[in-house]
Amino acid sequence: MGDYKLSEQEFNKIRNEVLQTWPTGAEVDFDEAVEYQKAIPENKNFAKVLWKAHKNGVTLLQPRAGVALIKDHIELLQYLESEGEADLLPTTIDAYTRLNKYENAADGVEKSLAAKTSLLNGFPAVNHGVKGCRIVTESLKVPVQIRHGTPDARLLAEISLAGGFTSFEGGGISYNVPYAKKVPIQKSIDDWKYVDRLVGAYEERGISINREPFGPLTGTLVPPCISHVVGIIEGILALRQGVKSLTLGYGQGGNLLQDVVALKALKEVANYYFKKEGFEDYELTTVFHQWMGGFPADEAKAFAVISWGTAAGVMAGADKIIVKTPHEARGIPTKEANAQGIKCSKQVANLLQGQNILLGGRYQEEFDLLKREISDLMDKIYELGDGDIEKGTVAAFEAGTLDVPFAPSIYNNGKILPMRDNEGLIRIYNKGSLALSDEVMEYHKARLEERANYERRKVSFQMVTDDIYAISKGRLIGRTK
Amino acid sequence: MSKPMTVVLGVIGSDCHSVGNTILNVFFTEQGFKVVNLGVMVSQEEYIAAAIETGAEAILVSSLYGHGEIDCAGLREKCIEQGLDDIILYVGGNLVVGKTDYSLVEEKFKKMGYNRVFSPEFPLEDMAELLRQDIRKRRQERENKD
Repeated sequence: MGDYKLSEQEFNKIRNEVLQTWPTGAEVDFDEAVEYQKAIPENKNFAKVLWKAHKNGVTLLQPRAGVALIKDHIELLQYLESEGEADLLPTTIDAYTRLNKYENAADGVEKSLAAKTSLLNGFPAVNHGVKGCRIVTESLKVPVQIRHGTPDARLLAEISLAGGFTSFEGGGISYNVPYAKKVPIQKSIDDWKYVDRLVGAYEERGISINREPFGPLTGTLVPPCISHVVGIIEGILALRQGVKSLTLGYGQGGNLLQDVVALKALKEVANYYFKKEGFEDYELTTVFHQWMGGFPADEAKAFAVISWGTAAGVMAGADKIIVKTPHEARGIPTKEANAQGIKCSKQVANLLQGQNILLGGRYQEEFDLLKREISDLMDKIYELGDGDIEKGTVAAFEAGTLDVPFAPSIYNNGKILPMRDNEGLIRIYNKGSLALSDEVMEYHKARLEERANYERRKVSFQMVTDDIYAISKGRLIGRTK
Repeated sequence: MSKPMTVVLGVIGSDCHSVGNTILNVFFTEQGFKVVNLGVMVSQEEYIAAAIETGAEAILVSSLYGHGEIDCAGLREKCIEQGLDDIILYVGGNLVVGKTDYSLVEEKFKKMGYNRVFSPEFPLEDMAELLRQDIRKRRQERENKD
């Protein structure tokens, strides 16, 4: 196990620069922040609450939410906490902050004040500073996490962790490839190394901070092997910097067998690679995202998709489920619709809690296939990196042996095309340069041929398009009309 | 065989919706077009530079996040400035904020100089056929001028 930790000297050098990129950076005093975090009770610490749920076999529910102004943001979160019965809360960050455009965010705050409504699509935590963040976290009874989509989240992490948030979503791949066009993979990996080292520094001072790589990636027919490999890589990179509480995620595909297999395999395979890299001392939990693709506009139909996601997540044994709202097809929900999404999910989760699902049939076959796919992709990464995962990851994206479907980044090969088989499992139609063995691909092809025969058409790109829009039109599989 | 039809494709402005862009890229390629795909977050200048560099006959502009009106205005004028007077301009997607009657949207964008305006539901095969017809017509007009 090599020493990959960012040195204190290097970290401090970057910190001095980062804290100067916006005036609120001056509010960060790490020693004071550690003392502040120490005073936060255990039942408001994200890492502790999640680990307790994991040990008790309970699935926690968390919405997404964020608005421009502190007062409105608190009102929204308190509503989701009391009326919505949320177990965990979010603070979703606005699009300007995600691009480090703090001046635009400041303008958005001004305009929101004048308009008496949020003109930003999230909470600009950097602009509100450490003080503003503390007002938010102190107003709530449950743990709060920062959720965003920021390739360079160094200042956001400094301010929000000093501000009392106890969990931070994202990672060097999962918050770059699906969210940015021109950020080199090495650059975002380096910037996230800083975030993970900051979390590691809190851990060394006795403060548990949860870290969560973003599992669903582009949220569009992502084959589990691809998102799992990204999660495993980001997990290793985080552990290398001293992160202890790690939550790996997966976005619902829609076929129950594939979803249960995927989440169970994620835990097993991640533990295997973490141990292989020499890590023993960590707490691994999982998060299941309700359907991330297009939703039906009809609210009753949307509730059905939400319920189905909850059922799959609980059956798969997720420690946490991120819930959607009946307004998903229309954009940002009202607080009432947001609470309805959580309540609907809670009812399903409560009904299923403690039920044992017997999984027979093809469960083992699919489980073994997924493990094989992950090992194909991981082997190639280790090979390209001469044994080093970070170097191998950058090389794998360059060579396209790791490839995220439908991603905007120019540093992603973008050649792989997924589609559903005749039972709705997500398979790979065109592998591009993805490092999957011929044997694996033959299986995928055979399953897709099965569907093509059933639908009396050839396996074609039209099926990919049909699948992308299928759920919003009321079906899992994009059948011919 | 006739000369391949080259088209420039991209999502305009600060929009990072990449799924539809991927679909269009593969679709038009399969339909036999030579697609120069600029991906997401494309500026007007980038479309024009790519069209000049590749000798493209059409620019296909997508917008999904609601700011289409601001992002798309002025592209025709910039094309003319750069000598691309008769280049075919298509635009499609969720072009304005909120639900609006599509005929009003169409009228607005045609006034901006776009030859055709497409709603998200427009069948791709029909669009490809229209594009082929428009390119053939443009070639004919150019020949007639010579």
